Amino acid sequence: MQLHGWEAALFYVLAILTLFMAVFVVTARVAVHSALFLISTLVNIALMFILLRAEFVAGVQILVYVGGVMVLFLFVIMLVQTRAEEEAKVKLYTRQSTPAVIIALLLALSFYFALNPAQTAYRPPEGAQPQVADAGDMSRAGAGYISRDTQEVGEQLYRQAALPFEIASLLLLVAMVGAVLLARGTKQEQYYD
Amino acid sequence: MSGAITGALALLGPVLLQAQQTPLAKRFEPTLINFMMLSFLLFVVGVAGVLSRRNIIIIFMSIELILNAVNLNLIAFSRYLELNRDLLTSKGLIVSPLSGPVFTIFIIVVAAAEAAVGLGIVIAMFRNRETVSIDEIDLLKW
Repeated sequence: MQLHGWEAALFYVLAILTLFMAVFVVTARVAVHSALFLISTLVNIALMFILLRAEFVAGVQILVYVGGVMVLFLFVIMLVQTRAEEEAKVKLYTRQSTPAVIIALLLALSFYFALNPAQTAYRPPEGAQPQVADAGDMSRAGAGYISRDTQEVGEQLYRQAALPFEIASLLLLVAMVGAVLLARGTKQEQYYD
Repeated sequence: MSGAITGALALLGPVLLQAQQTPLAKRFEPTLINFMMLSFLLFVVGVAGVLSRRNIIIIFMSIELILNAVNLNLIAFSRYLELNRDLLTSKGLIVSPLSGPVFTIFIIVVAAAEAAVGLGIVIAMFRNRETVSIDEIDLLKW
């Protein structure tokens, strides 16, 4: 198959790290710690993308999520921080935490039973060679080696998905204006109204 | 009790059968199934966070976890589609493995927009109600 040797080992290390960090995101007491654990999770998933030879998406993940969205999260935590949750007696979970755990377990169980037949049915073809130029050949992966992934994704983005691409830019504009409009203070509202 | 044991054996049976056929190093190589399992575990952790936390910012972070689980699934599917492209095209299926990364990029864009607007709402809410815990924001409940 595709991932051999140290890549397979790296997959398991990254998977365990990602899962632990995700659990810490949900269970951390202080919101800033939660955000830092989420940054760690996102970086781990970006590394997983690189392992899957999707370098462009990994770069986008780092730039947009870790560089943009998480900084936004940290700023909002700083603005909204009541510091109440750092005391041990303050409740972290709502009353529906027991149903939440039950629903999560049921979901996990259903996923397991959905995947279990696939695990036995999925047989990779013997000696399947990847069509991409970079996959499975790590001997050339030195300096100056550029994978074709970025070029192909860019072409696909502009040829097949040109209209959604433009709509996405419009969506980002609307979201930016909306965020500014929602977050402005009372003084600014009085001034402009 | 014996029913539980036979059930466990029925679940583990295919795994054990596979274990006898393939060598050790080959058996632990991650396939698409392993990526899907990681993805669904991330998804389940995110769902548990959304349903159980009080702090609305951490609920947003759990939504980001869910979206990332979907992204990982899409990328893994696209890569393994590419790997089996010859087999699938010989069966008459149209394979377009690059749809995965393209969809992932759009999901990242929508997640960024959602986070911006959502955090704007959180700031506006905090200014009015002085709280970020969702069980105190109950204006629509009666």
